[in-house]
Amino acid sequence: MRDLHLQQLRLNQTQRVRLQTALQKLQDVSPSSAAATVAVADNIPVNHEDGVLKGHGTSELDGQVVATLCGVVERVNKLVYVRTLRARYKPEIGDIIVGRVIEVATKHWRLEINFSQDAVLMLSSMNLPDGIQRRRTATDELNMRSIFEENDVICAEVRGFQHDGSLHLQARSLKYGKLKSGQLLTVPPYLIKRRKQHFHHLENYGVDLILGCNGFIWIGEHVETSNGVMEGDGGNKVEESNESSSHSVPLGEKGQRLMSLETRQHICQIANAVRVLSTLGFSLTTEGILEAAKASISLGINTKDMLGAEFHVQTAEREVGRRMSLLRKKG
Amino acid sequence: MVGLSAGEKNFIRGGIEQDLRADGRQRQDFRPILIETGVIPQANGSARVRFGATDVIASVKAELGKPNPLQPGRGKVAIYVDCSPTAAPAFERGGGEELSTELSAALQKCLLGGKSGAGAGIDLSSLMVLEGKVCWDLYIDGLVVSSDGNLLDALAAAIKAALTNTGIPKVDVGVGASPDEQPEVNISDEEFLQFDTSAVPVIITLTKVGREYIVDATSDEESQMSSAVSVSVNSHGKVCGLIKRGGAGLDASVILDMVSAARHVSQKLIPLLDSEIDAAEAASLAGQGSDVDP
Repeated sequence: MRDLHLQQLRLNQTQRVRLQTALQKLQDVSPSSAAATVAVADNIPVNHEDGVLKGHGTSELDGQVVATLCGVVERVNKLVYVRTLRARYKPEIGDIIVGRVIEVATKHWRLEINFSQDAVLMLSSMNLPDGIQRRRTATDELNMRSIFEENDVICAEVRGFQHDGSLHLQARSLKYGKLKSGQLLTVPPYLIKRRKQHFHHLENYGVDLILGCNGFIWIGEHVETSNGVMEGDGGNKVEESNESSSHSVPLGEKGQRLMSLETRQHICQIANAVRVLSTLGFSLTTEGILEAAKASISLGINTKDMLGAEFHVQTAEREVGRRMSLLRKKG
Repeated sequence: MVGLSAGEKNFIRGGIEQDLRADGRQRQDFRPILIETGVIPQANGSARVRFGATDVIASVKAELGKPNPLQPGRGKVAIYVDCSPTAAPAFERGGGEELSTELSAALQKCLLGGKSGAGAGIDLSSLMVLEGKVCWDLYIDGLVVSSDGNLLDALAAAIKAALTNTGIPKVDVGVGASPDEQPEVNISDEEFLQFDTSAVPVIITLTKVGREYIVDATSDEESQMSSAVSVSVNSHGKVCGLIKRGGAGLDASVILDMVSAARHVSQKLIPLLDSEIDAAEAASLAGQGSDVDP
């Protein structure tokens, strides 16, 4: 699947060789995962005497356990299952996700989060714009669209699964909520590892970076959370109740307030760094993204040229260097 | 098609206003262009062109046919475009048909010139075998595999590349047949005539967003457009066709501005495309060579 993405690059002969060597090296330095990977119909070695529980992605054929999916074999006591490498997002409670509102329904919003079904964000599981804890009234229900509209990109946390299997979200803090002025990127979810911190304020850049566990990445202008993230779009509906918030710049249909060119430059730089890393199939961490963005500056590569072949090769080679030095430190 | 939130729309519009688009491009920058030729073995010529995530394939099939009695000295060319349902959710269940028709019509206008054949990018008289009797019919089929905006430009580039890749078999016409009868023809398996594609124009679509216009818009940017003007320009900088899409009206001076911008962009795009097509042709020849003796 990595090859498929890399086809989109216009590599010349030397670049192709360099990239292949770099990727080969990366495979050599992490041999542990290679041993446990299986493709469809591969045999999974098991010890039948201990008894085996066949889990997801396995099947029995002529007394042998075979894989029905491509992925990594995982073993938990007797259970043997295959964790697929490339699949839709599989939510876990507490995950921070970025999603897009697709429907405003009674007492809840439905969100697309790259899961096999839509997620539900109840009106009761989020803070109201005025920040007061109280029962939601019918008026609140009528005003739901002033909080989130269709197509809005929002950030929330996975609250849990209901009995019917549907996924519920919550947004009970000011850091969650609507995301404004920036861009949303979609990457395969396996590239984003669960970490302590998914919100990143890149202070040197004035940029907010949110790595949603579901593979949706938000890169936008930094917003001070203290001023209330829940401000409505256009600012007029909610700001009536939120007059203390700073809204010195009027937001109009045409006279949109523009972000500074510098910030925009940084957003594009970081977005392209994410694009490069995801094309190469490297896992996305803040450090990695920032390193790629910095490298582009130090190498004097234009933001738009970051998507070119040369920068991809250089990024792969840098990753090899990084992993090698990590190994040396350990060894 | 998934909509965009107000914040994203503003970001795109603001970026175009500040001359720095979401992927770091400037208003008149194209995405990286990738060309492969000879992708369909059964066709006389074929090419696959990618502009970023936009992915199109064009194939050329040549068949012998009878020329139109009104234009006995010319061959015939048909252009048809199909939008694959896999390209975008909107194309499922016949949803792409409207767009297919629109694209086919636009390409016909830009590449085939007027009814008289004047201004055609493809020289129809070169398709002539025997005047009034036998000519080549070219069936040019375009397929949109993946859609991320700017389909027309990509299709035009793909057709140009496919025509460069096309080899038309040499035909010997049997002599001695009476004037009324259809003459016997002998199609050579070995000798092919290359097509001269230097006159085939490129199409440059200028998408107007806000006050500014951009080239090579992604589908996100196209969702914000007020109108778009596609200008087909040949290598001499001559305008061969002009198509306007989108609901909003345009001032005449703006159109003239856009045409001159398109001509300016074409000065960069045509050499780039030509060198890419040459490189792709060299690569596909090398690929064939290695297939023969592994």
